[in-house]
Amino acid sequence: MKRLLPRVGVDPARVEMFNLSSAMGPRWAEICNEFTERIRQLGPSPIRAALGRGGKGGTAS
Amino acid sequence: MIVGKQKPIEETWAMVKDFSRVLVFGCNTCVAVCHEGGNKEAQILASLMRMKATQEGLSLEIRDSGIERQCEHEFFESAEKDIEWADAVLSLACGVGVQFMVKRYPEILVYPGLDTCFLGDVEKNGLFTESCQACGKCVLAETAGICPVSRCAKRVLNGPCGGSNKGACEINKDLPCAWQLIVDRLEALGRLADYERLAPIKDWSTERAGGPRKLIHEEFMK
Repeated sequence: MKRLLPRVGVDPARVEMFNLSSAMGPRWAEICNEFTERIRQLGPSPIRAALGRGGKGGTAS
Repeated sequence: MIVGKQKPIEETWAMVKDFSRVLVFGCNTCVAVCHEGGNKEAQILASLMRMKATQEGLSLEIRDSGIERQCEHEFFESAEKDIEWADAVLSLACGVGVQFMVKRYPEILVYPGLDTCFLGDVEKNGLFTESCQACGKCVLAETAGICPVSRCAKRVLNGPCGGSNKGACEINKDLPCAWQLIVDRLEALGRLADYERLAPIKDWSTERAGGPRKLIHEEFMK
């Protein structure tokens, strides 16, 4: 995904994969906080911005 | 198996973006093994195309679907509705599958999402290497099971040529010389005497030189 996303104008930093066991709650919370902060810094995604401009394409069904 | 590589999304996008209903259609056998054209890859590509459509303000509808093999009639039944729905199908099958769909659905536009590359094996996870050229006249019995037609850059049948250097091919030092591999294997098997037998001139009419080929089993055609 990190290789493909830039091809459609999406920063690959917007996606990350973590491998955790169900016993790793504290680490899970830590990752959520870190990732939320990262996304805040990156700002709204270009897809969201396009939707805001009235972009309606790309529907799935 | 057949190994393919997805075309750059810019290329496939240009093929389909002007349609209203596009089906990205996976082929879940050969090209799924090389992670390029299976049903999962069709899902991913359809998602990427939806992102692209949104950003470009286009209102095309993009679905994904797939079957086990696009080169056999038997597998199409489950996807008939999806295919009939589409203005255009972006097939992630090899060139065989794309052409099979064109024959089966003459009224539907079918575009190739992959570049079909070669017949190969899974040497290890993520590494696919060419090992057969479907020449129509197998020489593996004479070459210790290593194919000089597909693995020697010159397709030399009585090798090695003068470009073999320390076990590597002259076109690329990372490419093993197929004939060095053949000699090494014959030696390991204690059959080096086989190497002394000259291969006759190969009949290339069974390969593409003889035009498109067919295999006919009349007993199954009734």
